[in-house]
Amino acid sequence: MLQHAAKEAVRGLEDAGIDFVSGLPDGWQRNVHELVEGNDRFQYVPACNEGVGFSMCAGAWLGGRKPALIMENSGLRVASEYIARISLGTGVPVTLLCSYRGDVGETEHWGIPHGIVAEPLLQALRIKYLVVRRVDELRQAIVRAHRISEAQLHPAAVLISGDCVWDDRGGR
Amino acid sequence: MALGRSDWLARLATALPDDCLVMSTYIGAVSFEWAHHTDEHPRTGHLGQMGDVIGLALGLALALPHRKVVCLDGDGSVLMELGQLVAMGQHTPDNLVVFVVDNGVYESIGWGDSGRRATATADRADLASIAASCGVPYTADISTQDQLDTEIELAFSRNLCSFLNVRTEPGHSRVAPRRTDGIEDKYRFVRYVEQLEDIWITGVPPQDLGLMEDQSPG
Repeated sequence: MLQHAAKEAVRGLEDAGIDFVSGLPDGWQRNVHELVEGNDRFQYVPACNEGVGFSMCAGAWLGGRKPALIMENSGLRVASEYIARISLGTGVPVTLLCSYRGDVGETEHWGIPHGIVAEPLLQALRIKYLVVRRVDELRQAIVRAHRISEAQLHPAAVLISGDCVWDDRGGR
Repeated sequence: MALGRSDWLARLATALPDDCLVMSTYIGAVSFEWAHHTDEHPRTGHLGQMGDVIGLALGLALALPHRKVVCLDGDGSVLMELGQLVAMGQHTPDNLVVFVVDNGVYESIGWGDSGRRATATADRADLASIAASCGVPYTADISTQDQLDTEIELAFSRNLCSFLNVRTEPGHSRVAPRRTDGIEDKYRFVRYVEQLEDIWITGVPPQDLGLMEDQSPG
């Protein structure tokens, strides 16, 4: 993610009151993980896969924390088993920050299937989400996603793409 | 050698510290027997399912580092998501003790014509060794009553991230199934944690808070 966007994402997490962050670093949000890890406001608990990360976030919520899971949208597929079991089954909120690989503008062929699956999967899991492609919308989108996750006791997601990850305004 | 599940769960229930929290499965024989032996005490969150029980317990233990957290899982569930052991070895909360009912079968699915369906631990998979190789600081593979008593005493007399695999005989004690669903189990556990820790987990909607402030006297 562009560095100024990564900083906006972290400000959004701070504004939302997030204090427990898990996830698996990916090429786009690697710097968000770095900023979170170095920030005392967050307990940073990396996982080797997004399913385990989701379970840890859910457990932390049961202990009174405000969790977020940061991952590529491919990780949604991995986490979906535990999102279904835990959140559809019992009603536990976790805020999800997902790189939107495969969105319009994607350069990598391997990102295309991630883009095809992400939104239908979120809809199948009844997860409300915002697609954010402008840096100036990112901070508030995270706050709002967290807010509804707490109100509905179910995850909410922000899919991040566009100007947050590409500096391509010269036509390239 | 292996231990009878209901008997060793009863011993564990008796030894449990009053102020600990427990994360357990919410369906299946382990859950039913644990609920029976603990009289459905709300300190147990019957919230875990196949592949997520240790992950939930790990998050809970990391969120409440001053609180002893006991996890009760089964071999089939641990095998489904071994990444949980990687995370346990990575973060090693010293307030977490995991007990695994390792009976080598998928007991809760019932019996077919050919008997119970075996898990990989009935063959060569060794969960305590896997946990140790993931970096979990203390692991034990328990198969006798004396060993179990020693490990239970150790687990509750020290703070050390531990994974205790208990070799268990297949078979039900035929206690009553539980009547609650995951939603009720969640609220019961959350309200207990809120009271124990003097915190709010589920909040009051901001508009409702504002309404009460507007109408408060003075």
